[in-house]
Amino acid sequence: MVSGEVVSHTEEEIEALEAARDVGPSDLAAMPGAFNPRQLARIDEALTLASRETGLLFSVYVGGFGRPDGSRAFAEKLINRLDIPATGGVLVAVSPGERELHIVTSPAAQRRLPNRVCALAALGMRAAFSGGDLTGGIVTGLRMLADAAGSVSR
Amino acid sequence: MSILQTVLVFVGIPLGVTALLALAVYGRTTTHRDRYRPGRSWDHPAVWYVPHPSALAELPARPALPAGSAEQEPPRLGGASGEW
Repeated sequence: MVSGEVVSHTEEEIEALEAARDVGPSDLAAMPGAFNPRQLARIDEALTLASRETGLLFSVYVGGFGRPDGSRAFAEKLINRLDIPATGGVLVAVSPGERELHIVTSPAAQRRLPNRVCALAALGMRAAFSGGDLTGGIVTGLRMLADAAGSVSR
Repeated sequence: MSILQTVLVFVGIPLGVTALLALAVYGRTTTHRDRYRPGRSWDHPAVWYVPHPSALAELPARPALPAGSAEQEPPRLGGASGEW
């Protein structure tokens, strides 16, 4: 996707994305695209650890957002497609082309992750992204959010 | 020293050193052309990752409280946004 290109995501495209949604480290390594296997392993580890620790469903999207004015709406549309557990869910959406990121928390997750905590995580991610470290930024964001949410009582 | 030796020492060695340095500087970047740089276009396909189901399956099923009528949580999404 070219930077600045106006692209709208149709429902079908979102469904295709949903079908291609990737699970697990073994599948991650086989995925072509932006990240090499080592980077994918880092993201997967951070994603799994964050979810396991907090009991929240963490999800990472990397790709275009569509219309510049509708990027937040697109991220919210994505989180609504997730099968979120009762504890809550968090979506970290990053568009490297549009240089934009969104953290979306489900209503149940908001008690543990208030918006100011998300803003802090977004700040940390922005710092890494502006230095060109895409993987580091995603991992940092996931860790910051997981730390702030705290561990789930077992 | 013969002419051949002179050429080898004063031309061959500097050329070899230059080639080695060039390889050390540019050799890796050409193989890592995919690296993200802010401001450049991003033409990779979109990816969406969720954790492995086992990460959440370990959670114990907590006893559900009976439904209350007092606090009705508005189904609003929160979060934050940023640009870089």
